[in-house]
Amino acid sequence: MQLGFLVDLHLCMGCKGCEIACKVENEVPLSTWRLRVKYVDVGTFPETKRTFTPLRCNHCANAPCERICPVSALHYLENGIVNIDKERCIGCAGCVMACPYGAIYIDPQTQTADKCTYCAHRVASSMMPSCVVACPVEANIFGDLDDPMSSISKYIQSHQGNVQVRKVEKGTDPHHFYVGGGNVQLNPLASFRGEGHNLFNNLKHLPIGGH
Amino acid sequence: MVHETLAATNAIVTLDVALPGIVWGWIITMNMWAKSIGTGIIFITFFLLKKYPEQTGFIRFPSVAISIVFIHIFLFFTVIDLHQMFRFWHIFFYPHLTSAITIGAWMATGFVGLLLAMAYAIYMKKDEAMYDKYLGWAMLLAIPVTLYTAGLMAESTARELWQMPTESAQMILAALLAGSATMILLGGNKFSDAVKKDLALILGLSAAAAFILYMSELIFGGMKAEEVAATLAFVKGGEYTAMFWIGQVMAFLVPMALVCVSLKNKSYYLLKIAAVSALVGLWVSKHVWLVIPQLLNMS
Repeated sequence: MQLGFLVDLHLCMGCKGCEIACKVENEVPLSTWRLRVKYVDVGTFPETKRTFTPLRCNHCANAPCERICPVSALHYLENGIVNIDKERCIGCAGCVMACPYGAIYIDPQTQTADKCTYCAHRVASSMMPSCVVACPVEANIFGDLDDPMSSISKYIQSHQGNVQVRKVEKGTDPHHFYVGGGNVQLNPLASFRGEGHNLFNNLKHLPIGGH
Repeated sequence: MVHETLAATNAIVTLDVALPGIVWGWIITMNMWAKSIGTGIIFITFFLLKKYPEQTGFIRFPSVAISIVFIHIFLFFTVIDLHQMFRFWHIFFYPHLTSAITIGAWMATGFVGLLLAMAYAIYMKKDEAMYDKYLGWAMLLAIPVTLYTAGLMAESTARELWQMPTESAQMILAALLAGSATMILLGGNKFSDAVKKDLALILGLSAAAAFILYMSELIFGGMKAEEVAATLAFVKGGEYTAMFWIGQVMAFLVPMALVCVSLKNKSYYLLKIAAVSALVGLWVSKHVWLVIPQLLNMS
């Protein structure tokens, strides 16, 4: 079994339902994200378009994070998921430096590395990842890449020529695919990024009581 | 190159998470800098004791003492950089052998053991033969201890700038630079002119070679990979340009020039200034090279 993810960017409408479902399911702390949707605006008024790109761990077959981890805190499960053992992690941040997708962060509460695990705990109970369940347009497709009859395999088959992965040149062999994406969505160098367009930038505590 | 499409697409990120910022900062710079001194002085001690055994015998104890101090500074900064420093022992009990961090930790532990054995041999036993026997093994082990950080940087797949061939050469050159500079400061005026000349040559040549590598990367690095070009933009008019050139001048250009002058004038005083400049500049150069790839957004 080799679990994989596919996002059809034609369908994604940037509602961020997946982000919130992930946050709630995995109790992701403030200012950190296992999954987030990036907005990139393209064009010049009035010819403009907004693109939405959900970004999460790519669960690579040749994962640099797993290779660099000195204590095997990052490890493969039998179903291909790159999982993390937070009790073993020493917080060296090697994985943060190694991941070419910027998908790993240091959890400010546990002071250990953390990332998307494709909701491994839910998968173990035969449930879908929370982001898949929350998506109102079924843009997230999850399943077994080794099974030609799985929904993800069928989707890849029916969209041949339009299926991409991020940063293929890194040789990481990611198991996270996109349909309908272009450079603007998938290559961080293809868009200008000014500071100030951040979501909850550096927010550590929610202001309560009207202060 | 894809960034050249920006003018056409006018693509702007309008909502995303904050950039992660610098994850490996000055603590890791201290780590690399102290390690360069700790292993470098062993390389130089080995060389001097082989070539000038009669004139340089007095360096046996001070050089191993300095190496012990700086290797422990390196280990201290390695441990305090961990977000879970009290789990450091996991490296020894749950080792993952594909990781350069694991290999480095094991190598460094063995290296510290040899250094302590050398100190015991020369300070407690007063046995120079035993010291020299351990020194040979320490010199051999100092090579992978010096190189493992290059392996770690190479395993950082996200940071295209750090390539193993260049980084390993830079690590060895940094150790030779730092080792010879430290030995120049350590020796005072006790060394003969021939020893001073050799130390000056090692300092000057390692500075020249390291400078050539940095300039090669600066000029040609961006021609092979767009990420490298984007990274180098931070030192080509970007926010780290001044710091980069301060490091290059202090670590390499000033020592090269002063070595030339001191060899001509036989001035040991100038050589000491070159040594101090090299040690300070090495920290700055290492820091800039460590930080700039982390300024690039990965997603």
